[in-house]
Amino acid sequence: MKIIFLVAGDSIYALLHQRLLLGLMLASLALTIFFSVVMSKARNQITQSFSDNQPMTNSFAFGGTNQMSQADQRKFREQVEQASSGIQAGFYGITSFGGSLVALFIFSTAVASEIRRGTIRLTLSKPVSRHQFLLGKYLGGVAVMAGYALVSGVAILIFSQTQNVELNSAIKWSPWLMFCRQLMLGSLAMLLSLFMHPIIASVLAYFAGNGFYSLHNPLYYLLPGYQDFNVFFKVLEGSLINFKDVVYLSLYATDFVIIMLLLALWRFRTKELV
Amino acid sequence: MTAIRIENLCKTYRGGQNGKDTTAVRDLSLEVKEGEIFGFLGPNGAGKTTTIHMLLNLIRPTHGTAHLFGQPVTDTAVHRRLGYLPESVNLHDYYCGRSLLNFYAGLCDMPAKVKPARVNELLKLLNLEGAAEKRVSKYSKGMAQRIGFAQAMLHDPDLLILDEPTASLDPVGRKEFRDILIELKRRGKTIFISSHILSEVETICDRVAILQNGELKRIGTLSELSSGKITKLVIKSLPAPVLEGLTATAAEVTLLHGRITIRCPDEELRQSVEELLCQHQVEIVQTETEVQSLEEIFFSSITPPPKL
Repeated sequence: MKIIFLVAGDSIYALLHQRLLLGLMLASLALTIFFSVVMSKARNQITQSFSDNQPMTNSFAFGGTNQMSQADQRKFREQVEQASSGIQAGFYGITSFGGSLVALFIFSTAVASEIRRGTIRLTLSKPVSRHQFLLGKYLGGVAVMAGYALVSGVAILIFSQTQNVELNSAIKWSPWLMFCRQLMLGSLAMLLSLFMHPIIASVLAYFAGNGFYSLHNPLYYLLPGYQDFNVFFKVLEGSLINFKDVVYLSLYATDFVIIMLLLALWRFRTKELV
Repeated sequence: MTAIRIENLCKTYRGGQNGKDTTAVRDLSLEVKEGEIFGFLGPNGAGKTTTIHMLLNLIRPTHGTAHLFGQPVTDTAVHRRLGYLPESVNLHDYYCGRSLLNFYAGLCDMPAKVKPARVNELLKLLNLEGAAEKRVSKYSKGMAQRIGFAQAMLHDPDLLILDEPTASLDPVGRKEFRDILIELKRRGKTIFISSHILSEVETICDRVAILQNGELKRIGTLSELSSGKITKLVIKSLPAPVLEGLTATAAEVTLLHGRITIRCPDEELRQSVEELLCQHQVEIVQTETEVQSLEEIFFSSITPPPKL
Protein backbone atom coordinates (compact mmCIF):
# COMPACT_ATOMS: atom_id res chain seq x y z
CA MET A 1 0.00 0.00 0.00
CA LYS A 2 2.89 2.34 0.79
CA ILE A 3 4.12 2.18 -2.80
CA ILE A 4 0.61 2.91 -4.14
CA PHE A 5 0.37 5.99 -1.92
CA LEU A 6 3.85 7.12 -2.96
CA VAL A 7 2.94 6.85 -6.65
CA ALA A 8 -0.37 8.62 -5.92
CA GLY A 9 1.48 11.40 -4.06
CA ASP A 10 3.86 11.80 -6.98
CA SER A 11 0.91 11.86 -9.35
CA ILE A 12 -0.78 14.67 -7.36
CA TYR A 13 2.49 16.60 -7.22
CA ALA A 14 2.92 16.20 -10.98
CA LEU A 15 -0.68 17.28 -11.66
CA LEU A 16 -0.24 20.41 -9.57
CA HIS A 17 2.66 21.31 -11.85
CA GLN A 18 0.57 20.87 -15.01
CA ARG A 19 -0.17 24.32 -16.40
CA LEU A 20 -2.93 23.04 -18.69
CA LEU A 21 -4.74 21.35 -15.84
CA LEU A 22 -4.47 24.37 -13.56
CA GLY A 23 -5.68 26.52 -16.45
CA LEU A 24 -8.69 24.23 -16.94
CA MET A 25 -9.54 24.34 -13.25
CA LEU A 26 -9.15 28.11 -13.03
CA ALA A 27 -11.19 28.63 -16.20
CA SER A 28 -13.94 26.43 -14.80
CA LEU A 29 -13.93 28.35 -11.52
CA ALA A 30 -13.88 31.73 -13.27
CA LEU A 31 -16.77 30.73 -15.55
CA THR A 32 -18.76 29.51 -12.55
CA ILE A 33 -18.23 32.75 -10.68
CA PHE A 34 -19.06 34.82 -13.77
CA PHE A 35 -22.26 32.89 -14.50
CA SER A 36 -23.35 32.98 -10.86
CA VAL A 37 -22.77 36.72 -10.60
CA VAL A 38 -24.78 37.32 -13.79
CA MET A 39 -27.62 35.13 -12.58
CA SER A 40 -27.50 36.74 -9.16
CA LYS A 41 -27.83 40.17 -10.77
CA ALA A 42 -30.83 38.92 -12.75
CA ARG A 43 -32.44 37.72 -9.54
CA ASN A 44 -31.79 41.08 -7.88
CA GLN A 45 -33.38 42.81 -10.85
CA ILE A 46 -36.54 40.72 -10.36
CA THR A 47 -36.57 41.70 -6.68
CA GLN A 48 -35.98 45.33 -7.59
CA SER A 49 -38.75 45.42 -10.18
CA PHE A 50 -41.15 43.86 -7.65
CA SER A 51 -40.16 46.44 -5.03
CA ASP A 52 -40.70 49.24 -7.57
CA ASN A 53 -44.23 47.94 -8.25
CA GLN A 54 -45.08 47.57 -4.55
CA PRO A 55 -46.18 51.26 -3.88
CA MET A 56 -48.51 51.00 -6.86
CA THR A 57 -50.06 47.87 -5.45
CA ASN A 58 -50.44 49.54 -2.04
CA SER A 59 -52.27 52.50 -3.58
CA PHE A 60 -55.04 50.12 -4.59
CA ALA A 61 -55.28 48.84 -1.07
CA PHE A 62 -58.77 50.19 -0.63
CA GLY A 63 -60.26 48.83 -3.83
CA GLY A 64 -59.99 45.05 -3.34
CA THR A 65 -56.43 44.81 -4.50
CA ASN A 66 -55.48 42.25 -1.85
CA GLN A 67 -56.01 39.41 -4.32
CA MET A 68 -53.77 41.06 -6.92
CA SER A 69 -51.10 41.56 -4.32
CA GLN A 70 -51.15 37.85 -3.48
CA ALA A 71 -50.88 37.02 -7.16
CA ASP A 72 -47.94 39.37 -7.47
CA GLN A 73 -46.32 37.79 -4.49
CA ARG A 74 -46.80 34.35 -5.94
CA LYS A 75 -45.39 35.51 -9.24
CA PHE A 76 -42.48 37.12 -7.45
CA ARG A 77 -41.76 33.97 -5.48
CA GLU A 78 -41.92 31.87 -8.63
CA GLN A 79 -39.58 34.22 -10.47
CA VAL A 80 -37.12 34.29 -7.57
CA GLU A 81 -37.24 30.51 -7.26
CA GLN A 82 -36.69 30.14 -10.98
CA ALA A 83 -33.74 32.52 -10.84
CA SER A 84 -32.29 30.68 -7.82
CA SER A 85 -32.70 27.33 -9.56
CA GLY A 86 -31.11 28.81 -12.67
CA ILE A 87 -28.14 30.05 -10.66
CA GLN A 88 -27.68 26.68 -8.98
CA ALA A 89 -28.18 24.71 -12.20
CA GLY A 90 -25.72 26.97 -14.01
CA PHE A 91 -23.25 26.68 -11.17
CA TYR A 92 -23.58 22.91 -11.27
CA GLY A 93 -23.51 22.71 -15.08
CA ILE A 94 -20.25 24.61 -15.40
CA THR A 95 -18.45 22.94 -12.50
CA SER A 96 -19.64 19.54 -13.70
CA PHE A 97 -18.55 20.08 -17.31
CA GLY A 98 -15.25 21.63 -16.22
CA GLY A 99 -14.71 18.76 -13.80
CA SER A 100 -15.39 16.22 -16.53
CA LEU A 101 -12.76 17.84 -18.75
CA VAL A 102 -10.31 17.90 -15.86
CA ALA A 103 -11.04 14.23 -15.05
CA LEU A 104 -10.62 13.17 -18.67
CA PHE A 105 -7.34 15.06 -18.90
CA ILE A 106 -5.98 13.63 -15.64
CA PHE A 107 -6.92 10.00 -16.12
CA SER A 108 -6.27 9.65 -19.84
CA THR A 109 -2.76 11.09 -19.51
CA ALA A 110 -1.87 9.50 -16.16
CA VAL A 111 -0.04 6.51 -17.63
CA ALA A 112 0.32 7.68 -21.24
CA SER A 113 2.36 10.76 -20.31
CA GLU A 114 4.71 8.66 -18.14
CA ILE A 115 5.30 6.31 -21.08
CA ARG A 116 5.76 9.21 -23.52
CA ARG A 117 8.23 11.04 -21.26
CA GLY A 118 10.04 7.81 -20.34
CA THR A 119 9.76 8.40 -16.59
CA ILE A 120 7.91 5.10 -16.17
CA ARG A 121 11.16 3.24 -16.95
CA LEU A 122 12.86 4.58 -13.84
CA THR A 123 9.81 4.08 -11.62
CA LEU A 124 9.34 0.47 -12.72
CA SER A 125 13.06 -0.27 -12.39
CA LYS A 126 12.44 0.09 -8.65
CA PRO A 127 10.57 -2.63 -6.75
CA VAL A 128 7.24 -1.28 -7.99
CA SER A 129 4.84 -3.68 -9.67
CA ARG A 130 2.72 -2.63 -12.60
CA HIS A 131 -0.51 -2.93 -10.65
CA GLN A 132 0.89 -0.75 -7.85
CA PHE A 133 1.86 1.85 -10.41
CA LEU A 134 -1.53 1.88 -12.14
CA LEU A 135 -3.52 1.94 -8.91
CA GLY A 136 -1.26 4.69 -7.57
CA LYS A 137 -1.87 6.76 -10.68
CA TYR A 138 -5.63 6.26 -10.40
CA LEU A 139 -5.61 7.11 -6.70
CA GLY A 140 -3.69 10.32 -7.42
CA GLY A 141 -6.38 11.32 -9.91
CA VAL A 142 -9.12 10.45 -7.40
CA ALA A 143 -7.49 12.70 -4.80
CA VAL A 144 -7.32 15.64 -7.23
CA MET A 145 -10.95 15.11 -8.29
CA ALA A 146 -12.01 14.87 -4.63
CA GLY A 147 -10.29 18.21 -4.09
CA TYR A 148 -12.15 19.65 -7.06
CA ALA A 149 -15.52 18.35 -5.78
CA LEU A 150 -14.74 19.71 -2.31
CA VAL A 151 -13.84 23.14 -3.69
CA SER A 152 -17.04 23.25 -5.78
CA GLY A 153 -19.09 22.15 -2.74
CA VAL A 154 -17.55 24.81 -0.54
CA ALA A 155 -17.91 27.42 -3.31
CA ILE A 156 -21.63 26.74 -3.70
CA LEU A 157 -22.10 26.92 0.07
CA ILE A 158 -20.26 30.25 0.29
CA PHE A 159 -22.17 31.54 -2.70
CA SER A 160 -25.55 30.53 -1.27
CA GLN A 161 -24.70 32.17 2.06
CA THR A 162 -23.42 35.42 0.59
CA GLN A 163 -26.12 35.75 -2.08
CA ASN A 164 -29.02 34.51 0.07
CA VAL A 165 -29.79 31.68 -2.32
CA GLU A 166 -31.63 28.79 -0.72
CA LEU A 167 -30.02 25.54 -1.88
CA ASN A 168 -32.41 22.95 -3.23
CA SER A 169 -32.21 19.26 -2.38
CA ALA A 170 -30.68 18.16 -5.68
CA ILE A 171 -27.77 20.60 -5.57
CA LYS A 172 -26.80 19.40 -2.10
CA TRP A 173 -25.88 16.01 -3.53
CA SER A 174 -24.36 17.40 -6.71
CA PRO A 175 -20.66 17.51 -5.64
CA TRP A 176 -20.80 13.85 -4.60
CA LEU A 177 -22.66 12.70 -7.72
CA MET A 178 -20.40 14.83 -9.90
CA PHE A 179 -17.39 13.21 -8.21
CA CYS A 180 -18.80 9.70 -8.84
CA ARG A 181 -19.47 10.54 -12.49
CA GLN A 182 -15.97 11.93 -12.95
CA LEU A 183 -14.41 8.79 -11.47
CA MET A 184 -16.45 6.68 -13.88
CA LEU A 185 -15.36 8.84 -16.81
CA GLY A 186 -11.78 8.75 -15.55
CA SER A 187 -11.61 4.99 -15.13
CA LEU A 188 -12.94 4.45 -18.64
CA ALA A 189 -10.59 7.09 -20.09
CA MET A 190 -7.65 5.47 -18.29
CA LEU A 191 -8.55 2.03 -19.66
CA LEU A 192 -8.97 3.35 -23.21
CA SER A 193 -5.72 5.34 -23.02
CA LEU A 194 -3.88 2.01 -22.65
CA PHE A 195 -5.04 1.11 -26.15
CA MET A 196 -5.08 4.45 -27.98
CA HIS A 197 -4.00 8.11 -27.93
CA PRO A 198 -5.20 9.92 -24.78
CA ILE A 199 -7.22 12.49 -26.75
CA ILE A 200 -9.14 9.79 -28.64
CA ALA A 201 -9.56 7.89 -25.36
CA SER A 202 -11.01 11.01 -23.69
CA VAL A 203 -13.46 11.72 -26.51
CA LEU A 204 -14.59 8.10 -26.62
CA ALA A 205 -14.96 7.93 -22.84
CA TYR A 206 -17.04 11.13 -22.79
CA PHE A 207 -19.40 10.05 -25.57
CA ALA A 208 -19.66 6.44 -24.42
CA GLY A 209 -22.59 7.21 -22.11
CA ASN A 210 -25.84 5.30 -22.63
CA GLY A 211 -27.75 8.59 -22.76
CA PHE A 212 -27.49 8.50 -26.55
CA TYR A 213 -29.46 5.25 -26.79
CA SER A 214 -33.05 4.27 -26.12
CA LEU A 215 -34.11 1.68 -23.56
CA HIS A 216 -34.71 -0.79 -26.39
CA ASN A 217 -31.12 -0.63 -27.58
CA PRO A 218 -28.84 -3.26 -25.94
CA LEU A 219 -26.07 -0.65 -25.82
CA TYR A 220 -28.14 1.22 -23.23
CA TYR A 221 -27.46 -1.60 -20.77
CA LEU A 222 -23.81 -2.04 -21.70
CA LEU A 223 -22.58 1.55 -21.73
CA PRO A 224 -22.08 3.64 -18.60
CA GLY A 225 -25.12 5.59 -17.43
CA TYR A 226 -23.55 8.99 -16.84
CA GLN A 227 -26.82 10.88 -17.25
CA ASP A 228 -28.22 9.45 -14.01
CA PHE A 229 -25.54 11.40 -12.18
CA ASN A 230 -26.41 14.62 -13.93
CA VAL A 231 -28.59 16.71 -11.61
CA PHE A 232 -28.81 19.75 -13.91
CA PHE A 233 -32.52 19.33 -14.80
CA LYS A 234 -33.41 18.22 -11.30
CA VAL A 235 -31.86 21.41 -9.93
CA LEU A 236 -33.58 23.48 -12.59
CA GLU A 237 -36.96 21.89 -11.85
CA GLY A 238 -36.35 21.93 -8.13
CA SER A 239 -36.94 18.14 -7.90
CA LEU A 240 -35.87 16.06 -4.95
CA ILE A 241 -33.15 13.40 -4.88
CA ASN A 242 -33.71 10.52 -2.48
CA PHE A 243 -30.88 9.33 -0.31
CA LYS A 244 -31.71 5.82 -1.57
CA ASP A 245 -31.03 6.97 -5.15
CA VAL A 246 -27.71 8.46 -4.10
CA VAL A 247 -26.69 5.17 -2.46
CA TYR A 248 -27.77 3.23 -5.53
CA LEU A 249 -25.83 5.54 -7.87
CA SER A 250 -22.75 5.40 -5.63
CA LEU A 251 -22.80 1.60 -5.71
CA TYR A 252 -23.25 1.64 -9.47
CA ALA A 253 -20.25 3.99 -9.86
CA THR A 254 -18.11 1.86 -7.52
CA ASP A 255 -19.02 -1.25 -9.46
CA PHE A 256 -18.24 0.41 -12.78
CA VAL A 257 -14.89 1.80 -11.59
CA ILE A 258 -13.82 -1.59 -10.20
CA ILE A 259 -14.62 -3.33 -13.50
CA MET A 260 -12.76 -0.66 -15.50
CA LEU A 261 -9.74 -0.85 -13.19
CA LEU A 262 -9.62 -4.64 -13.43
CA LEU A 263 -9.69 -4.40 -17.21
CA ALA A 264 -7.01 -1.70 -17.13
CA LEU A 265 -4.81 -3.86 -14.87
CA TRP A 266 -5.25 -6.80 -17.22
CA ARG A 267 -4.22 -4.67 -20.20
CA PHE A 268 -1.37 -2.90 -18.38
CA ARG A 269 0.12 -6.22 -17.21
CA THR A 270 1.36 -7.01 -20.71
CA LYS A 271 1.63 -3.54 -22.24
CA GLU A 272 4.94 -2.57 -23.82
CA LEU A 273 6.14 0.45 -21.88
CA VAL A 274 8.66 2.06 -24.21
CA MET B 1 26.51 -17.15 -9.10
CA THR B 2 25.01 -15.69 -12.24
CA ALA B 3 23.69 -12.13 -12.04
CA ILE B 4 22.14 -12.11 -15.52
CA ARG B 5 21.14 -15.16 -17.53
CA ILE B 6 19.63 -14.68 -20.97
CA GLU B 7 18.53 -17.72 -22.95
CA ASN B 8 17.48 -17.65 -26.61
CA LEU B 9 15.98 -14.21 -26.24
CA CYS B 10 14.09 -12.89 -29.28
CA LYS B 11 12.13 -9.73 -29.82
CA THR B 12 10.12 -9.12 -32.95
CA TYR B 13 8.00 -6.00 -33.42
CA ARG B 14 4.91 -6.81 -35.44
CA GLY B 15 4.00 -4.58 -38.37
CA GLY B 16 6.89 -2.16 -38.10
CA GLN B 17 8.09 -0.15 -41.07
CA ASN B 18 6.07 -0.86 -44.24
CA GLY B 19 3.95 -3.28 -42.25
CA LYS B 20 6.84 -5.76 -42.04
CA ASP B 21 7.90 -7.44 -38.83
CA THR B 22 11.15 -6.12 -37.39
CA THR B 23 13.39 -8.39 -35.36
CA ALA B 24 15.34 -6.34 -32.84
CA VAL B 25 16.95 -9.24 -30.96
CA ARG B 26 17.61 -12.74 -32.38
CA ASP B 27 18.24 -15.80 -30.28
CA LEU B 28 20.47 -14.02 -27.78
CA SER B 29 22.06 -16.10 -25.02
CA LEU B 30 24.60 -14.85 -22.52
CA GLU B 31 25.52 -14.93 -18.86
CA VAL B 32 26.99 -12.27 -16.64
CA LYS B 33 28.64 -13.48 -13.44
CA GLU B 34 28.30 -11.69 -10.13
CA GLY B 35 31.05 -9.15 -9.51
CA GLU B 36 31.78 -8.70 -13.21
CA ILE B 37 31.83 -5.49 -15.27
CA PHE B 38 30.27 -6.56 -18.54
CA GLY B 39 30.39 -4.38 -21.66
CA PHE B 40 27.47 -4.65 -24.04
CA LEU B 41 28.55 -3.23 -27.39
CA GLY B 42 27.14 -2.79 -30.83
CA PRO B 43 26.37 -0.17 -33.45
CA ASN B 44 23.10 1.79 -33.34
CA GLY B 45 20.10 -0.47 -33.82
CA ALA B 46 22.02 -3.55 -32.70
CA GLY B 47 19.37 -4.40 -30.09
CA LYS B 48 21.26 -3.36 -26.94
CA THR B 49 18.55 -1.12 -25.50
CA THR B 50 15.82 -3.59 -26.48
CA THR B 51 17.67 -6.31 -24.55
CA ILE B 52 17.98 -4.00 -21.54
CA HIS B 53 14.26 -3.19 -21.72
CA MET B 54 13.50 -6.91 -21.69
CA LEU B 55 15.77 -7.36 -18.66
CA LEU B 56 13.77 -4.62 -16.91
CA ASN B 57 10.46 -6.21 -17.91
CA LEU B 58 9.42 -3.03 -19.75
CA ILE B 59 8.83 -5.09 -22.88
CA ARG B 60 8.09 -8.78 -23.24
CA PRO B 61 10.31 -11.11 -25.28
CA THR B 62 8.76 -12.84 -28.27
CA HIS B 63 10.70 -15.98 -27.29
CA GLY B 64 13.26 -16.94 -24.70
CA THR B 65 13.79 -16.14 -21.06
CA ALA B 66 15.78 -13.74 -18.94
CA HIS B 67 16.69 -14.13 -15.28
CA LEU B 68 18.29 -11.79 -12.76
CA PHE B 69 19.96 -13.51 -9.81
CA GLY B 70 18.07 -16.67 -10.70
CA GLN B 71 14.65 -14.98 -10.63
CA PRO B 72 12.60 -14.36 -13.77
CA VAL B 73 12.64 -10.68 -14.78
CA THR B 74 8.86 -10.53 -14.32
CA ASP B 75 9.40 -10.88 -10.56
CA THR B 76 9.33 -7.30 -9.23
CA ALA B 77 11.03 -8.33 -5.99
CA VAL B 78 14.32 -8.85 -7.84
CA HIS B 79 14.34 -5.10 -8.59
CA ARG B 80 15.43 -4.55 -4.98
CA ARG B 81 18.85 -5.72 -6.15
CA LEU B 82 18.81 -3.72 -9.38
CA GLY B 83 19.75 -0.16 -10.30
CA TYR B 84 19.09 1.22 -13.77
CA LEU B 85 20.28 4.28 -15.66
CA PRO B 86 18.59 4.75 -19.05
CA GLU B 87 20.19 6.10 -22.20
CA SER B 88 18.25 9.36 -22.13
CA VAL B 89 17.58 10.16 -18.51
CA ASN B 90 13.98 11.34 -18.29
CA LEU B 91 13.32 12.33 -14.74
CA HIS B 92 10.29 13.63 -12.87
CA ASP B 93 11.53 17.15 -13.48
CA TYR B 94 9.06 18.92 -11.19
CA TYR B 95 11.11 17.79 -8.17
CA CYS B 96 14.29 19.34 -6.89
CA GLY B 97 17.30 17.01 -6.86
CA ARG B 98 16.98 16.05 -3.20
CA SER B 99 13.20 15.46 -3.35
CA LEU B 100 13.65 13.31 -6.44
CA LEU B 101 16.12 11.07 -4.65
CA ASN B 102 13.82 10.96 -1.61
CA PHE B 103 10.95 9.87 -3.85
CA TYR B 104 12.99 7.05 -5.39
CA ALA B 105 14.31 6.07 -1.96
CA GLY B 106 10.68 5.72 -0.85
CA LEU B 107 9.94 3.46 -3.80
CA CYS B 108 12.94 1.33 -2.80
CA ASP B 109 11.42 1.09 0.68
CA MET B 110 14.52 2.63 2.22
CA PRO B 111 14.16 3.09 6.00
CA ALA B 112 13.49 6.73 6.98
CA LYS B 113 16.50 6.70 9.32
CA VAL B 114 19.08 6.00 6.62
CA LYS B 115 17.41 7.91 3.78
CA PRO B 116 18.72 11.47 4.41
CA ALA B 117 22.27 10.28 5.01
CA ARG B 118 22.28 8.13 1.86
CA VAL B 119 20.81 10.94 -0.26
CA ASN B 120 23.42 13.39 1.04
CA GLU B 121 26.20 10.88 0.45
CA LEU B 122 25.21 10.44 -3.19
CA LEU B 123 24.69 14.14 -3.80
CA LYS B 124 28.22 14.69 -2.50
CA LEU B 125 29.71 11.78 -4.45
CA LEU B 126 28.26 13.09 -7.71
CA ASN B 127 29.05 16.76 -7.06
CA LEU B 128 25.39 17.74 -6.88
CA GLU B 129 25.35 19.21 -3.37
CA GLY B 130 25.09 22.74 -4.73
CA ALA B 131 22.15 21.80 -6.97
CA ALA B 132 20.29 19.67 -4.43
CA GLU B 133 17.51 22.24 -3.97
CA LYS B 134 17.34 23.22 -7.64
CA ARG B 135 14.46 21.98 -9.85
CA VAL B 136 15.57 19.04 -11.99
CA SER B 137 14.04 20.76 -15.05
CA LYS B 138 16.77 23.41 -14.67
CA TYR B 139 19.57 20.82 -14.67
CA SER B 140 22.06 20.59 -17.52
CA LYS B 141 22.35 17.29 -19.42
CA GLY B 142 25.42 16.31 -17.43
CA MET B 143 23.72 17.09 -14.11
CA ALA B 144 20.63 15.12 -15.14
CA GLN B 145 22.91 12.19 -16.01
CA ARG B 146 24.58 12.43 -12.60
CA ILE B 147 21.31 12.58 -10.66
CA GLY B 148 20.13 9.67 -12.80
CA PHE B 149 23.22 7.74 -11.75
CA ALA B 150 22.54 8.70 -8.12
CA GLN B 151 19.02 7.23 -8.27
CA ALA B 152 20.43 4.03 -9.77
CA MET B 153 22.89 3.64 -6.87
CA LEU B 154 20.49 4.86 -4.19
CA HIS B 155 19.60 1.52 -2.63
CA ASP B 156 23.12 0.13 -3.06
CA PRO B 157 22.00 -2.48 -5.63
CA ASP B 158 23.99 -5.62 -6.42
CA LEU B 159 23.49 -5.14 -10.14
CA LEU B 160 23.70 -1.90 -12.11
CA ILE B 161 22.35 -1.78 -15.65
CA LEU B 162 23.73 1.30 -17.37
CA ASP B 163 22.66 2.27 -20.87
CA GLU B 164 25.11 4.77 -22.42
CA PRO B 165 25.91 6.21 -19.00
CA THR B 166 28.58 8.70 -20.01
CA ALA B 167 27.02 10.05 -23.19
CA SER B 168 26.31 13.48 -21.66
CA LEU B 169 29.34 13.75 -19.40
CA ASP B 170 32.44 15.86 -19.95
CA PRO B 171 35.91 14.23 -19.71
CA VAL B 172 36.19 15.06 -15.99
CA GLY B 173 32.74 13.60 -15.35
CA ARG B 174 33.69 10.48 -17.32
CA LYS B 175 36.84 9.98 -15.29
CA GLU B 176 34.88 10.37 -12.02
CA PHE B 177 32.24 7.99 -13.29
CA ARG B 178 34.88 5.41 -14.23
CA ASP B 179 36.42 5.67 -10.77
CA ILE B 180 33.01 5.09 -9.17
CA LEU B 181 32.47 1.99 -11.31
CA ILE B 182 35.88 0.59 -10.39
CA GLU B 183 35.10 1.22 -6.71
CA LEU B 184 31.73 -0.52 -7.10
CA LYS B 185 33.44 -3.49 -8.73
CA ARG B 186 35.91 -3.61 -5.84
CA ARG B 187 32.89 -3.90 -3.55
CA GLY B 188 31.66 -6.90 -5.53
CA LYS B 189 28.87 -5.22 -7.52
CA THR B 190 27.93 -6.46 -10.97
CA ILE B 191 27.79 -3.84 -13.72
CA PHE B 192 26.18 -4.34 -17.12
CA ILE B 193 27.17 -1.40 -19.25
CA SER B 194 26.09 -0.55 -22.76
CA SER B 195 28.32 2.04 -24.39
CA HIS B 196 29.62 3.40 -27.67
CA ILE B 197 32.79 4.68 -26.07
CA LEU B 198 35.03 1.68 -26.70
CA SER B 199 38.11 3.08 -24.95
CA GLU B 200 36.06 3.46 -21.78
CA VAL B 201 34.69 -0.08 -21.95
CA GLU B 202 38.18 -1.40 -22.66
CA THR B 203 39.50 0.23 -19.49
CA ILE B 204 36.91 -1.09 -17.07
CA CYS B 205 35.20 -4.18 -18.46
CA ASP B 206 36.13 -7.75 -17.60
CA ARG B 207 34.18 -9.20 -20.51
CA VAL B 208 32.33 -7.81 -23.50
CA ALA B 209 29.60 -8.93 -25.87
CA ILE B 210 29.30 -7.48 -29.37
CA LEU B 211 25.90 -7.34 -30.99
CA GLN B 212 24.88 -6.49 -34.54
CA ASN B 213 21.39 -6.56 -36.03
CA GLY B 214 20.14 -8.24 -32.89
CA GLU B 215 22.64 -11.11 -33.13
CA LEU B 216 25.45 -11.86 -30.75
CA LYS B 217 28.69 -11.69 -32.76
CA ARG B 218 31.34 -12.18 -30.09
CA ILE B 219 31.54 -12.64 -26.34
CA GLY B 220 34.49 -13.02 -23.99
CA THR B 221 37.43 -11.27 -22.37
CA LEU B 222 39.60 -9.00 -24.52
CA SER B 223 42.36 -11.60 -24.77
CA GLU B 224 39.83 -14.29 -25.70
CA LEU B 225 38.37 -12.11 -28.41
CA SER B 226 41.69 -10.94 -29.77
CA SER B 227 42.04 -13.00 -32.97
CA GLY B 228 45.65 -13.35 -34.14
CA LYS B 229 47.77 -12.61 -31.10
CA ILE B 230 50.64 -10.26 -31.88
CA THR B 231 53.98 -11.46 -30.49
CA LYS B 232 57.05 -9.32 -29.83
CA LEU B 233 60.41 -11.06 -29.64
CA VAL B 234 63.18 -9.13 -27.92
CA ILE B 235 66.74 -10.10 -29.00
CA LYS B 236 70.26 -8.98 -28.06
CA SER B 237 71.91 -8.86 -31.51
CA LEU B 238 70.74 -8.83 -35.08
CA PRO B 239 73.20 -10.44 -37.51
CA ALA B 240 73.00 -9.34 -41.16
CA PRO B 241 71.69 -12.72 -42.48
CA VAL B 242 68.81 -12.58 -39.99
CA LEU B 243 67.92 -9.04 -41.01
CA GLU B 244 68.07 -10.14 -44.63
CA GLY B 245 65.78 -13.06 -43.89
CA LEU B 246 63.29 -10.83 -42.02
CA THR B 247 62.97 -8.28 -44.83
CA ALA B 248 61.15 -10.87 -46.92
CA THR B 249 58.46 -11.29 -44.20
CA ALA B 250 55.75 -9.11 -42.62
CA ALA B 251 57.71 -8.93 -39.36
CA GLU B 252 58.53 -5.42 -38.12
CA VAL B 253 61.95 -4.76 -36.61
CA THR B 254 62.51 -1.82 -34.29
CA LEU B 255 65.63 -0.64 -32.54
CA LEU B 256 64.91 1.57 -29.56
CA HIS B 257 67.34 2.45 -26.73
CA GLY B 258 69.57 -0.47 -27.69
CA ARG B 259 66.64 -2.90 -27.53
CA ILE B 260 65.87 -4.88 -30.69
CA THR B 261 62.25 -5.99 -31.08
CA ILE B 262 60.73 -8.15 -33.81
CA ARG B 263 56.91 -7.76 -34.01
CA CYS B 264 55.11 -10.77 -35.49
CA PRO B 265 51.42 -10.06 -36.36
CA ASP B 266 50.43 -13.75 -36.40
CA GLU B 267 51.35 -17.13 -34.99
CA GLU B 268 52.64 -18.60 -38.25
CA LEU B 269 55.12 -15.79 -38.77
CA ARG B 270 56.26 -16.04 -35.16
CA GLN B 271 57.19 -19.67 -35.70
CA SER B 272 59.18 -18.97 -38.87
CA VAL B 273 61.01 -16.02 -37.22
CA GLU B 274 61.88 -18.18 -34.22
CA GLU B 275 63.29 -20.85 -36.59
CA LEU B 276 65.37 -18.22 -38.38
CA LEU B 277 66.76 -16.89 -35.10
CA CYS B 278 67.54 -20.41 -33.97
CA GLN B 279 69.40 -21.19 -37.23
CA HIS B 280 71.68 -18.19 -36.61
CA GLN B 281 71.94 -18.89 -32.88
CA VAL B 282 70.36 -15.61 -31.85
CA GLU B 283 69.07 -15.73 -28.30
CA ILE B 284 65.51 -14.56 -27.60
CA VAL B 285 65.72 -12.51 -24.43
CA GLN B 286 62.02 -11.92 -23.92
CA THR B 287 58.68 -12.80 -25.55
CA GLU B 288 55.76 -10.38 -25.17
CA THR B 289 52.19 -10.98 -26.29
CA GLU B 290 50.11 -8.04 -27.43
CA VAL B 291 46.28 -8.38 -27.73
CA GLN B 292 44.16 -6.42 -30.18
CA SER B 293 42.55 -3.24 -28.97
CA LEU B 294 38.78 -3.35 -28.35
CA GLU B 295 38.30 -1.09 -31.32
CA GLU B 296 40.14 -3.56 -33.56
CA ILE B 297 38.10 -6.44 -32.12
CA PHE B 298 34.87 -4.48 -32.53
CA PHE B 299 35.45 -3.59 -36.16
CA SER B 300 36.64 -7.07 -37.03
CA SER B 301 33.46 -8.50 -35.44
CA ILE B 302 30.84 -6.43 -37.19
CA THR B 303 29.90 -6.25 -40.82
CA PRO B 304 30.60 -2.71 -42.02
CA PRO B 305 27.48 -0.79 -43.05
CA PRO B 306 27.05 -0.25 -46.80
CA LYS B 307 28.71 2.96 -48.03
CA LEU B 308 26.36 5.78 -48.99
